[in-house]
Amino acid sequence: MRRQRHWATLAWQGLICLTGLAIWQWGYALHDRLPWLVPELLDPYFISRPSDIASQFLHLGCLVDEQGHWTIWTKGAFHQCVAGMDNNLWIAALVTLKNTLTGFAVGVASGFLLGLLLGRSDRLARVFHPYIIAANSVPRIALAPIIILAFGIGDASKVVTAWLVVVFLVFFNTFEGVRSVDRDHISAARLLGASEWQITRTVVIPSASAWVFASLTPAISFALIGVIVGEFIGAEHGIGRMIIEAEARGEASGMMVAVFVLMVVGVALSSVVRRVQSYLLRWRPQHGVF
Amino acid sequence: MSRSGATAVAVRPSYGVRASPHRIEVRDVSKTFTVDGREIHAVDTVSFSVSEGEFVALLGPSGSGKSTLLNMIATLLEPSAGEILIDGEPVNPRRPNRKVGYVFQKDTLFPWRTAEANIAYSLQLAGVPAAERRERVQAALAEAGLKGFGGFYPAALSGGMRQRVALMRTLISRPQILLMDEPFGALDTHTKLDMHRVLLNIWERERQTVVFVTHDLGEALTLADRIILLSARPGRLKEEFVVSFPRPRDAVALRETAAYGDLFSRIWHSLGEEFVKGSEP
Repeated sequence: MRRQRHWATLAWQGLICLTGLAIWQWGYALHDRLPWLVPELLDPYFISRPSDIASQFLHLGCLVDEQGHWTIWTKGAFHQCVAGMDNNLWIAALVTLKNTLTGFAVGVASGFLLGLLLGRSDRLARVFHPYIIAANSVPRIALAPIIILAFGIGDASKVVTAWLVVVFLVFFNTFEGVRSVDRDHISAARLLGASEWQITRTVVIPSASAWVFASLTPAISFALIGVIVGEFIGAEHGIGRMIIEAEARGEASGMMVAVFVLMVVGVALSSVVRRVQSYLLRWRPQHGVF
Repeated sequence: MSRSGATAVAVRPSYGVRASPHRIEVRDVSKTFTVDGREIHAVDTVSFSVSEGEFVALLGPSGSGKSTLLNMIATLLEPSAGEILIDGEPVNPRRPNRKVGYVFQKDTLFPWRTAEANIAYSLQLAGVPAAERRERVQAALAEAGLKGFGGFYPAALSGGMRQRVALMRTLISRPQILLMDEPFGALDTHTKLDMHRVLLNIWERERQTVVFVTHDLGEALTLADRIILLSARPGRLKEEFVVSFPRPRDAVALRETAAYGDLFSRIWHSLGEEFVKGSEP
């Protein structure tokens, strides 16, 4: 029964995907005959076509050479192509991924520490409250040009942009999590002989972990947004840079390849975060193994 | 846990040196709470003391301040007036007394730790080596009838099992003084009797000094050497009863004896007056 439903779901998903691709591929051909049905936006000039995107993907990824031959059959062809293309797909994806993960890691670590510190200390929380509210009210992306100006067009500016969008998110969740720790758990730990630091380590952190983790999935997406915006404004490598270059050439298929790669990267990153999360939170009934 | 009796006894001889014969002394303690600008007198000038190895039940209707009193002994609350001494020294919230163990009414197990890890908590804090820790936790699980459940998270355990884990989490560090706040209040009758058996077994071997808060007269009679009856709010000391049933006691068989019935009805009458008072506006 369950298995059947699973297959039915898969079948529907496949059908929807194929229909969407078919409309994308051939839909605009009907534009002249049925202009009231087919919107102008389906013009391949704007959104390209699945077949063009696929072949552009193979070119940008150095999987086929300029003559259309597969590079894997000729020894050294792939390396030669990669070396010849400055911002090829692989370099671009790796640079973007590296900067996203670095910004994410630094943002999570600093947001978590700040949240823990302010969550545990009423005095610090009172002092810093207005500054945090003010800083949080600034759309972080608006600072991206300033960051590029200050940190240059290299990797550092992308990491800083990603850090800036991640740190507040993680901070607020950690702070709330620390504030909502069950008072009785703290009393119990204290009566069992725990020092303040032991209470933080063995009660506050595990207890707040569900809150912290809730912020990590959005945080990884935000980090990716931060890096891409940084690359839009000024970069040597990266997927964002690739989109800007393709746009300058009026090449919709190149932009779509970049978007597609971003989608894959985004899905992969958030599924890793979710996996780690459900392992670390396995004690919660809804995540439990029982 | 089987060797713990010997350890506890070895610690005790120093006790005879102290000036006071009492382990716990509550002297003219009052507690006033302010709720919405209104003063509520929860405890009014209560004094009593508990001797070494004595099992005392604090009995009273709800609102008689019995939990408040216990929480003040545990330093979870501060008295508005009066003082509380443990082994002749005033209790200090800044310096929790390692000899004192506390069992909550509410479920305060750490849900992110397995039953074993919950029980091992205080040993871990104290830096007890892993091998000894494991051995003591296994003994505690067996004692509480929880063999095979050590790897379970609290969410997967029943209410009775959780309370056993909580009891063992407190007892594993061998506290000499045990403060218990209606620990079995949320359990059904059968599970409760079961818990009485577990507790009596341990207590008759280790003879901790116990203050046990309850509103259940049967429970107080089953467990205690002495029952301190508190009046309805504000909690005052109303009457004391010595419970001299022979030990070891059988939680079930005891209830069918005539002596139990006699004492039960005497205290029931006195307690009943307070229940009536407590329900008046």
